[in-house]
Amino acid sequence: QPTMAMRQTPLTCSGHTRPVVDLAFSGITPYGYFLISACKDGKPMMRQGDTGDWIGTFLGHKGAVWGATLNTDATKAATAAADFTAKVWDAVSGDEVLTLAHKHIVKTVTFTQDSNCLLTGGNDKLLRIYDLSNPEAAPQEIAGHTSAIKKALWCNNDKQILSAADDKTIRLWDRSSMEQVKMLTFETSVSSMEYVPDGEVLVITYGRTVAFYNALSLDLIKAVEAPAPINSASLHPEKDFFVAGGEDFKLYKFDYSTKEELESYKGHFGPVHCVRFSPDGELYASGSEDGTLRLWQTAVGKTYGLWKCVLPGNNFCHSLMKSYLEQAIWHREVDLSSDEICPLVDGK
Amino acid sequence: MISSFSEQEKVQKQKSKQRLNMATPVTVLRLPKGPDPNSRGFDPKSPRFIALYPEQLPREQHARSVLRESFLRCLLTMVEATFRASDIDVLNFQVSDLHTPIGVQKEALIRCQDVISFTFDA
Repeated sequence: QPTMAMRQTPLTCSGHTRPVVDLAFSGITPYGYFLISACKDGKPMMRQGDTGDWIGTFLGHKGAVWGATLNTDATKAATAAADFTAKVWDAVSGDEVLTLAHKHIVKTVTFTQDSNCLLTGGNDKLLRIYDLSNPEAAPQEIAGHTSAIKKALWCNNDKQILSAADDKTIRLWDRSSMEQVKMLTFETSVSSMEYVPDGEVLVITYGRTVAFYNALSLDLIKAVEAPAPINSASLHPEKDFFVAGGEDFKLYKFDYSTKEELESYKGHFGPVHCVRFSPDGELYASGSEDGTLRLWQTAVGKTYGLWKCVLPGNNFCHSLMKSYLEQAIWHREVDLSSDEICPLVDGK
Repeated sequence: MISSFSEQEKVQKQKSKQRLNMATPVTVLRLPKGPDPNSRGFDPKSPRFIALYPEQLPREQHARSVLRESFLRCLLTMVEATFRASDIDVLNFQVSDLHTPIGVQKEALIRCQDVISFTFDA
């Protein structure tokens, strides 16, 4: 483990030609984990999660793709698009498996844990549940939101549904009764929502706020203010950090317990639209208006994926850096929140 | 004397600040691979693809099934000829005007072991 300051080197994944508006990781599979990105160019892409290497592009949509997801074992993908369809894909072969026609732009798609059902939501203000083993059958529809649905998620072991819409509400629905169980109202539209099944935590962003709620009771756990309007946030699987990105193009990393801002990184050339931790928590991915995805290390300097740890002592320059840095910290010359330097990895 | 010492300190602080801004960036083995401009990807030779979609017919087996099929197609075709003679052991038939799928043979010798059945038109 390095004990000197290292500067974060993000890995840039290029290929998209328009803004990246959504991204999702799969679970951990025997072949590693995977990443899917939704793009306004209509061509969602699948990548190897730990390296960012391109695997394939799902071709078929005729409009901007607003939402994309993978099932847990990365064998299926689903996408939501401005062409009024949601599509299900074979994520091994890249073939289109199903097209589900909607009455308006589809914004969000998500699988149940067993991949048998697909939940969609969009500008027609309806939540739809499709049975993928019987796709010809009409989907179940849940009405209630009074404007376009931005994000819909399964929660509570797929027994309930959480949805966020432009009507400034987040609603909790019971799947079997299809009835609304709870509702949260905000003063401004919610920009993103993430569900962490382990511990039933809901991560919501609005304005400059990153808020954490209990996903079952919708009780507020805590809220944190960021330096700029935030479009998306993600909680680390071990719940020691969360990351956020938004309108100032930067990525922020916070300590979840203390709410302290730990690090911030410049890199994107446009607002950050989405950010997600990988399932093993070793990295987080961000998608931006600049058309790129970037991968960031959680523990900067650690050997993982394409990043390589360079041990101190092997290199004269590194030893020199270390002594200068130690001196500077002693003389209080270092601003540890600056985006040029990240704190020492061993916590000092 | 004091002023020159604080001057020295200022210069030293400035220098070390400059050095810190060159903090070592994390080494990267290579950049992530980008999309192939000629294909949509999902390489069928990737370990994941092969493991999840094992080839149903290996090449040799496929070739055998093709040969079997063409043999069966051959059986479906009846061959017409004018019978001339047989040898004493009925090992060979001498025929004229043998109509085959690939043309008419004026004179031919047919091996009886290759014949599955034959009929005579009176």
